[in-house]
Amino acid sequence: MILLISFVLIGAVILAAVLMSSQGGAYVEIRVDGKLYGSYSLSQNQTVDINGIGGQNRLIIENGRAYMQEADCPDKLCVKQGNISMKGQSIICLPHKVVAEIVADDGANENNSVDIIVK
Amino acid sequence: MKRILTAALLFICLFSGCTREAKTDKDIFSSNDTEISHTGNASATREIFAMDTYMSLTAYGDHAETAVDKAISEIKRLDALLSVGDEKSIVYRLNHGEKADSEDVTFLIERSAWLYENTDGAFDITLFPLMELWGFTGEHPAVPEQSDIDKTLVLCGFDKLIIENDTPEPKDGQGIDFGGIAKGYTSQRIMEIFREYGITSGVVSLGGNVQCYGTKPDGSLWRCGITDPDHPDDTSALSGVISVDDKAVITSGGYERYFTENGKTYHHIINPENGYPADSGLKSVTIVSADGTLADGLSTACFVMGKEKSFAFWREHPELFDMVLITNENEILVTEGLKENFSSRKDYTIIK
Repeated sequence: MILLISFVLIGAVILAAVLMSSQGGAYVEIRVDGKLYGSYSLSQNQTVDINGIGGQNRLIIENGRAYMQEADCPDKLCVKQGNISMKGQSIICLPHKVVAEIVADDGANENNSVDIIVK
Repeated sequence: MKRILTAALLFICLFSGCTREAKTDKDIFSSNDTEISHTGNASATREIFAMDTYMSLTAYGDHAETAVDKAISEIKRLDALLSVGDEKSIVYRLNHGEKADSEDVTFLIERSAWLYENTDGAFDITLFPLMELWGFTGEHPAVPEQSDIDKTLVLCGFDKLIIENDTPEPKDGQGIDFGGIAKGYTSQRIMEIFREYGITSGVVSLGGNVQCYGTKPDGSLWRCGITDPDHPDDTSALSGVISVDDKAVITSGGYERYFTENGKTYHHIINPENGYPADSGLKSVTIVSADGTLADGLSTACFVMGKEKSFAFWREHPELFDMVLITNENEILVTEGLKENFSSRKDYTIIK
């Protein structure tokens, strides 16, 4: 029994290691009204349709960057915010309460990174 | 190897049911140290959309969960109290001739009076009618007629506001708005809540108004990135980094809220002298102070006053705050108190 559990665990660890190394660690975390909506690898090109509060946003992940392609919010400020790719960067759509944030950037730019942005 | 270890840890976490929040915090605030000194130090993160902006809060300590929950309640309470648009808010009722009593309003009025007197009127909570005239309170701001600006200016001025028993009583056409200090006051209140619950480290961003509690969990200073006013949405194009503990770091800039009409840009920080968006030669002002309310109010005031008056004011009160000014010519001017705490890839000048 113990042997079986260890086997499953080791298998899971190897799988995770393979997955993480192929992803390079960085991903986009999407939250809607404070709740996790989903996490998406930055190294995989994809389109994410987001059901925000009272509307829709479409996030595109392309060549290691993420941007909001379209949204049916009135101000479209999220679309104007452009690309994000570095840890801590985020795109925020206030009307739909959507936050897309880059997390877990494997520490490559540790010395240059900041903890928080003042604006 | 590091990756495999991380993955193993991740899985142990998953199996032992530890929350994903804890993992995110560790990633966001990870240090260069390989050893985490505060093992067993619980952390909690919350975010909320309030006061027309996005806010995030993080705290470390045994009672972190309770502390951030209390902080969220406090944000909601103050939002409901200070909103200019909510018919149930104290500020709305005061602006519509009702009498209303609140300890928070008493405190904010005292601070507003101090700021008004000490900044030569550059900080003024009575500009609300002008904000309405310009349409900054609604969806469609536009340049008003000069005659309307002139008529509205007459209604503005803190010295014209009647204050009875620490309660403001705006008369016909007058109006108050604590928008210039509300977020700073709120982050200051959150610091008090953090203290009450024995928080060891914490940081809040209320729509980009930052206040830090203590140092980071590893004992190093919080690194606060100052937005480049020419590229406000590009968080990789920073004007510099200020490293602090136990401080509010608050920026005012014309890039925050603005509209364009006939090719000209109009931002939301109104100069009380002429009723137009302030044009004092600055792109942004960042204030660093142990007092969030003061930092918030001074960021607006110094943006209106311009560099010479701001430096003169700082020389009178160097113990209260420090600042970073970015001029229209892209000079970065940093007051001496931040000499050891400011860094930038660009050229900057230390002001004495």
